[in-house]
Amino acid sequence: MTTTTAAAGTETPLIPPSTHAYADVIHRLEAGGSMLPDTPENLQQIIGIYKAYAVPMDFYWRDLLYIAERIWRGGEKAHPELLEFMAKGETRAMPKLLHHLWHDRVNMEFAEACMQAMFWHQGMGGRFNDYLASEAYRANADRAVKAYFKGNLVMLGLYKLFPEMFIEKVRQLSYTANLGLFWEVMAPVFFEMSDLYDEGQLTSVPAAMDFLVNGIFAVAGRPIYHHVFIAGECIEIIPKSEGFTWLYEAALPYVEAVFYRTSPFRGTKSYNAQADQVPDDQADFHYGILYADVFPVGSAGIPPTLLMQDMLHFLPPYLQELYKQHRRGEEDQLIQLGITFQRSMYNVTSAVIQALRCALLYPLDDSNPEHLKANRSFFEAQMDRFLRPEARLSDIQTQDYR
Amino acid sequence: MGSCRLDLLADDRPHHLASRATNPMPTILETAQAAGAFGTLLAAVDAAGLRDALEGPGPFTVFAPIDAAFAALPPGTVQTLVDNPPQLARILKYHVIAGAYHQAQLVEQQDWPSLEGAPIPVRCPDPLEIKNATVLTADLVCSNGVVHVIDRVILPG
Repeated sequence: MTTTTAAAGTETPLIPPSTHAYADVIHRLEAGGSMLPDTPENLQQIIGIYKAYAVPMDFYWRDLLYIAERIWRGGEKAHPELLEFMAKGETRAMPKLLHHLWHDRVNMEFAEACMQAMFWHQGMGGRFNDYLASEAYRANADRAVKAYFKGNLVMLGLYKLFPEMFIEKVRQLSYTANLGLFWEVMAPVFFEMSDLYDEGQLTSVPAAMDFLVNGIFAVAGRPIYHHVFIAGECIEIIPKSEGFTWLYEAALPYVEAVFYRTSPFRGTKSYNAQADQVPDDQADFHYGILYADVFPVGSAGIPPTLLMQDMLHFLPPYLQELYKQHRRGEEDQLIQLGITFQRSMYNVTSAVIQALRCALLYPLDDSNPEHLKANRSFFEAQMDRFLRPEARLSDIQTQDYR
Repeated sequence: MGSCRLDLLADDRPHHLASRATNPMPTILETAQAAGAFGTLLAAVDAAGLRDALEGPGPFTVFAPIDAAFAALPPGTVQTLVDNPPQLARILKYHVIAGAYHQAQLVEQQDWPSLEGAPIPVRCPDPLEIKNATVLTADLVCSNGVVHVIDRVILPG
C-alpha cells in the first residue's frame, strides 16, 4: 500500500496524471498517503486530538449502550483521566447534580446528536435501516415495549393508542446501540495510536492512516445488534444472527451521517431553506466536520462545540503548548482544537477511503492500467465531494489554517 | 500463490470426468478439499455452519478464494469473522450464486445476484474478473454446481 507506479518518479507512469482540481491530493492517495499532508506537526496534532477525543468517547459509548441496553458495561475499566474528571470535573468534587447543572460534565448531548444524525439520514448503505422496517423487528420491539411497561396500564394504554410512536422510539434506541457498539471499538484504537506515538512508533501521517485502515479491517466483522435487558430477561430486538457488521451497518453509515452530512446547526449561523441554502436532497447535506467553519460553529449549544469542550479537558500537554504559540493562545484554544479535529477527521476519512479502495478495488501497485484507472475514478469521485466551497480540504493542505 | 496446486486442480478435472462412470462426481466441497488450496475457505465454511447447505443439491456457482487471498487480508480480519459465524456466513454467501453458471454464461450479464443479497459485478470478460478478483481457474464442474477459483476475497459494497 505504500508504492504506486504513478508516483515512482523514475518509471513511466502506467496512467496519465489526474486533471482533477484536487489532483495533488489524488496523487498522494495513489502513493499510499492521506488527504492530510505528511508533516510532523500534522502528525502531532492528529494524534494529540485522537487521545483527547478517545477519553470522552470512552464515556459516550458506555452511556449509549446503557441507554440502549439498560446494562452498564465495565465502568471500572474506563480511562483513568475520565474517571478523575467524572469525580471532580473542572471545579471540584461535589454532588453529581450540581456538576450537571453547572455544565461541568461530559456533554453526552454530542453523542446523542451523532446518533440522531444516523437515525435521521438513514439509508446510507448496509441493511440496518431496512431491518428496522421489517415485521421481525416490529415483533421484537413489541415484546420489549410490553415487557418494559409490564403492569403500567397507563403506558400500555398509550402504546395501544399510538403504537408507531413507541416503535419509533425503539428504532432510535437501536441506533443508540449501533453507535455505542461503533465507538466501543474506536476509543481503544485511538488510545493505542496515542500510546504508539508517545513510544515513538507512529512516525508519519500515512502510518497513522494505515493503522486505522488495518484497524477497520480487523474489526469489520464484529456484530452490530440490539439486545435489551428488562427484568432480568434479554430481549434480542436485533439479534446477532442477522449478520449485521461493524463495517457495513455502523462505520460506513456513521462516517456518511456524521463526517459529511449531519444537519444545519441552530445557533449563530442561520440557514435560509427558501434561498436554497439547505439542499433538497439529504444526500447533499454538508454540515459535518469536513465542511465546518469552526469559528461560527464554536458557539454555545452546537453539537461539535460540545465535543470540542469535552476534548479541551483531555488535551495532551504538547497540544496545549502548540495552541499557546499560535493565534490568540489560550483564548481561542477551542477554535484551534476544532481545526485540529478537522485535520484528524480528514485523516480518518482518508483511512475509510483507502479501506474501501482496498476492499472493493485494487492494490496501489497493481500492474494493470485498467485497475489503476478504476482506482483513479474512485479517488476522483471521493474528491468530488470536496469541490463545494464549504469543504476544508484545501485549507488543511497548509499549516496556516488554525 | 499456490499456483502449482491449482495446476494439480486443473489436472484433476479429466480424472474426475473420466471416473464419473464409476464414482459419482464430487461435490463443490469435495472438489475444494481435493484441490488442497482452499484450507481457509473450507475452515470458514465449517465455522459459518454452511457445510450442509453447500453439500445440498444446489446447484450453486461458487467463487472460491484461494488460501493466499485470505492471507492477503489485513491481520485479524479473518479471525474476527471466524469468531462471529453469522457475519462470516454473510461474507461467504457473497461468493455464491444460486444456479450453475459457466464462464461463458457469466460474461453475458453485468451483475449477478449473490446469496448474500448484494450484486456481484462482472468487470472484465477476458481474463474473467469478478468484482476486484481475477478468476484463476474457471468452470470446475461439480455434482451440485460450478466452482470458479479466484485470487481475492470479494466483499459487498
